Amino acid sequence: MKFIDSHHDLWHRVSGEDGPKPDPDPQRDRLLTIEQWHAVRGYWPVGLNTGLALPNTADVVLLAADLPKLALIVLDFPKWTDGRAYSQARLLRSRLGYRGELRASGEVLVDMLPLLQRTGFDAARLRADQGEAAARRALGIFAGHYQADTLAPLPLFARQSA
Amino acid sequence: MYRYTAFDRQFVHTRAAQFRDQLGRHLAGDLPDDDFRALRLQNGWYVQRHAPMLRVAVPYGELSSRQLHQLARIAREHDLQEAGTPAERGGFGHFTTRQNLQFNWIPLPQAADVMDLLADVDMHGIQTSGNCIRNITTDALAGIAADEHIDPRPYCEILRQWSTLHPEFAFLPRKFKIAVSGALEDRAATAWHDIGLNLRHGEDGAVGFQVRVGGGMGRTPVIGTVIGEFVPWQQILVFIEAVVRVYNLHGRRDNLYKARIKILVKAEGQRFTDAVNAEFAALLNDDALGAAQLIPQAEYDRVAASFTSPVDRALAESEAVESNLPQAFKRWLERNVHAHKLPGYRAVTLSLKRAGLPPGDVTADQMDGAATLAERYSQGELRVTHEQNLLLPWVAQKDLHALWLDAREGGFATPNIGLLTDMIACPGGDLCALANARSIPIAAAINERFDDLDMLHDIGDIDLHISGCINSCGHHHSGHIGILGVDKDGKEWYQVSVAGSDGSTLSGEAVPGKVIGPSFAADEVPDVLEAVIDTYRRERRAGERFIDTARRLGTPPFRVATDAVRGTTAASAARGAAVALPV
Repeated sequence: MKFIDSHHDLWHRVSGEDGPKPDPDPQRDRLLTIEQWHAVRGYWPVGLNTGLALPNTADVVLLAADLPKLALIVLDFPKWTDGRAYSQARLLRSRLGYRGELRASGEVLVDMLPLLQRTGFDAARLRADQGEAAARRALGIFAGHYQADTLAPLPLFARQSA
Repeated sequence: MYRYTAFDRQFVHTRAAQFRDQLGRHLAGDLPDDDFRALRLQNGWYVQRHAPMLRVAVPYGELSSRQLHQLARIAREHDLQEAGTPAERGGFGHFTTRQNLQFNWIPLPQAADVMDLLADVDMHGIQTSGNCIRNITTDALAGIAADEHIDPRPYCEILRQWSTLHPEFAFLPRKFKIAVSGALEDRAATAWHDIGLNLRHGEDGAVGFQVRVGGGMGRTPVIGTVIGEFVPWQQILVFIEAVVRVYNLHGRRDNLYKARIKILVKAEGQRFTDAVNAEFAALLNDDALGAAQLIPQAEYDRVAASFTSPVDRALAESEAVESNLPQAFKRWLERNVHAHKLPGYRAVTLSLKRAGLPPGDVTADQMDGAATLAERYSQGELRVTHEQNLLLPWVAQKDLHALWLDAREGGFATPNIGLLTDMIACPGGDLCALANARSIPIAAAINERFDDLDMLHDIGDIDLHISGCINSCGHHHSGHIGILGVDKDGKEWYQVSVAGSDGSTLSGEAVPGKVIGPSFAADEVPDVLEAVIDTYRRERRAGERFIDTARRLGTPPFRVATDAVRGTTAASAARGAAVALPV
């Protein structure tokens, strides 16, 4: 799990005076909104280091064809108790085969880390008051779980009989 | 009973350690209330009117005598406070309709110690609250019912493991309840659950589930819709995952009262079913994790091995009940003793509905007493019933008389199972922070009014359900008579309904009851109930039970009879109920 320090983040949003620029030029290291992405996806080149920030209402399955162009997907927790992004993450990894960085942002608390890790996130930007050391500790609590997840692709019953 | 593996045991101890860390950070001021809330809820800790409440999971209602002794110890040593009336000093537990046990007086700083004590006997509070998949419930007679075709317990345990700390489904739009039944008679109210599973045999003898989705009580009572007629047992985790994923992504989160899956199912209709089927197909055919969740025969066999019968052979059945036995014993045989699939055995309900104690409550001493009865007469095993009683599943018929004597001694032998005083009631406003009105004094007043056993037996089978608020923990919607506490202008009022059903054969197809008229004042409730009962006794046809009479007559005669006994609300009711009284 990579913890993102917002002061040293290489990704840049593309904003004009009135918010996100509607159709940004292709450049590397850009973090686009879903609206921006829809405007440029047709001609956006492959191989440019590109990030996409999704609201937790977005249907990730519709992005299947775009995933090879994306090096980063940022999923949002507007409230930490809103669990939609866990499903988005799990679908991106296990259904759609997304291999780029999957980052949690918004209200990310240390006690969410085990859930994030098990649904396919590999990066998190913690809420400002949360400590990285506590987050790392939270990741080491359980030795194993019952279900299959993106870390352990077999459930306990299949691991035991293997 | 399911036997914990080393993994299971380590898992609940780790969970207790994780909670100790979270509690410690909270008590040290590093984890604010708002952030701690969801964490403690998913371990069973509410903050209630007077103190925290702990809800302990009793998975599908199975309890060992060792576990019950430990719960007694927790009640005795931790569920305590110094001040208040005797009822407010703690030392007792409350069994719920979802087969769990609640403590009301444990100070929060002791919470982690209690979780360790639970883990020591393979117990926990995991997901007994919060917006996640809750404890799975089933038939209290699972594995022993004479009318059972498939034992639901191995499937319940597999579901328990699958749902425990599921990383994707810990923060759903709202709570999510699953009930499973494997018998002809539905004793688990499956149609009233977010998911109701009914085990059945396919044409070729294969085992599968009929799946209902979207049942629920609350403000909007809804009966679940069948969305799968036969899901093969091997695929049930995948199918449920499809249902819960569609719910997690699309259930409403903008309005607490519209967040249950029932609202999504109603709003989307066929589109919901189509979405689940599409997700189910994608999981099976096009997903790196989907097919891994298919349950192998070896896993079913491993889990099912825990649920083999603790007695190895049938006993001789004795036909006749000796005529010289006391009438009270015969009544107990009639009401509290149930058929068993194994000849020579019976299931026996220990009634937790008796004068002087709220429905479902047990003191620490009574917990020890019930555990001792289980050791003596029932292979050390008990069940918690949906109706908030305890049940001994393995009683030899020849021991019934001795058990009856001991149960009487322990205060468990009230012969009222299925009768009016065997009512379901939530803890209500005495303890619960959500309640609009108190349930316990209403239950006590009804108990006092209907204390004549001859009369209770004459009234016969009847489900009386009392909820202190619209959250419906006391299942008022499904009662033949339902009582709902409502609040208006800071006062307690009670709305009465008739002809609801939990979906059992006796009660008929699951349906919410109909409100008979404007609400009543607390002091009117016993008279109102008597008027309802008198109406039934006057109008019933030969052999007709209350529910059938109520369904045949509808609400009008009950309204007339209950309006006639109004006291404090009489003037208001006459002026027009909608204005003066909450309906």
